[in-house]
Amino acid sequence: MAQDSVIGPGTVVRGNVHGDGSVRVGGRIEGDLSVSGDVVLEDGSAVLGTVSGAHVSINGSVSGDIRGTTAVVVEAAGRVVGDLSAPQIGIAVGALVRGQVQTDGEPEVASRKATAGKAARPKAKPAPKAAPARKAPKASAKKSKRKTGKRRPPPPVVPALRKGARGKKKKSRRR
Amino acid sequence: MAGTVIGSGLTVEGELSSDEEVVVHGTVRGALTSSDAISVGADGVVESDVTGSSLTVAGQVTGSVTAQERVDIQAGGRLIGDVKAARLTIADGASFKGNVDMDV
Repeated sequence: MAQDSVIGPGTVVRGNVHGDGSVRVGGRIEGDLSVSGDVVLEDGSAVLGTVSGAHVSINGSVSGDIRGTTAVVVEAAGRVVGDLSAPQIGIAVGALVRGQVQTDGEPEVASRKATAGKAARPKAKPAPKAAPARKAPKASAKKSKRKTGKRRPPPPVVPALRKGARGKKKKSRRR
Repeated sequence: MAGTVIGSGLTVEGELSSDEEVVVHGTVRGALTSSDAISVGADGVVESDVTGSSLTVAGQVTGSVTAQERVDIQAGGRLIGDVKAARLTIADGASFKGNVDMDV
């Protein structure tokens, strides 16, 4: 197993740091920091480069983009010049952020759906198997229909239409 | 508690300099310098020159090594490169290839 790493306050890294496990930085990294685990930038730390990890907590200064697959939290002493992107983003009072902030829910939602599916399906599946399948095929069909109706995805976003195209479309719809 | 720990699974591609103890269980590809002790764990790999007050090698070091005090190559440790240190121990079961300069 990958163990936790520490870049102490008296340490300077000139180059990229990447790998597995979580990292606590008290020193200085002049390069990119990319790990699969959590990242904690302590007060007094500095990173000149992009930072990416699962849960990224910033109490130091970063000049570079920050990407968290779970969350990015800029604490009160944090100073960031760069873009933030994560499913969940927190910026404490007193923190400095200069850059774009974007919450994109895709990874989190996907993981939730996956876990929900994994958790729910095995429990749900054995019950129909145990029950006589021939007894009520109509009911099951109805149920499945309902389910699909409920879980139907939202309609696709219609691309922007050109001038006049909208009128044509409306007319065609009326007919 | 060591000042700086490069955990297993972590790779530093570049120079690492410190004024506190450094423990390497992962990989460092770039000059590793500390004014305190440096320790390379059994899974640790350092592919560059190493300078520290003392160095303990239980993993693999490729590069010339300079220590103000001592260099210890432990059993299972592997050091390929020149050593410049006042004291040097090479444990039974360690591998070492390089020159030794004890005239510090």
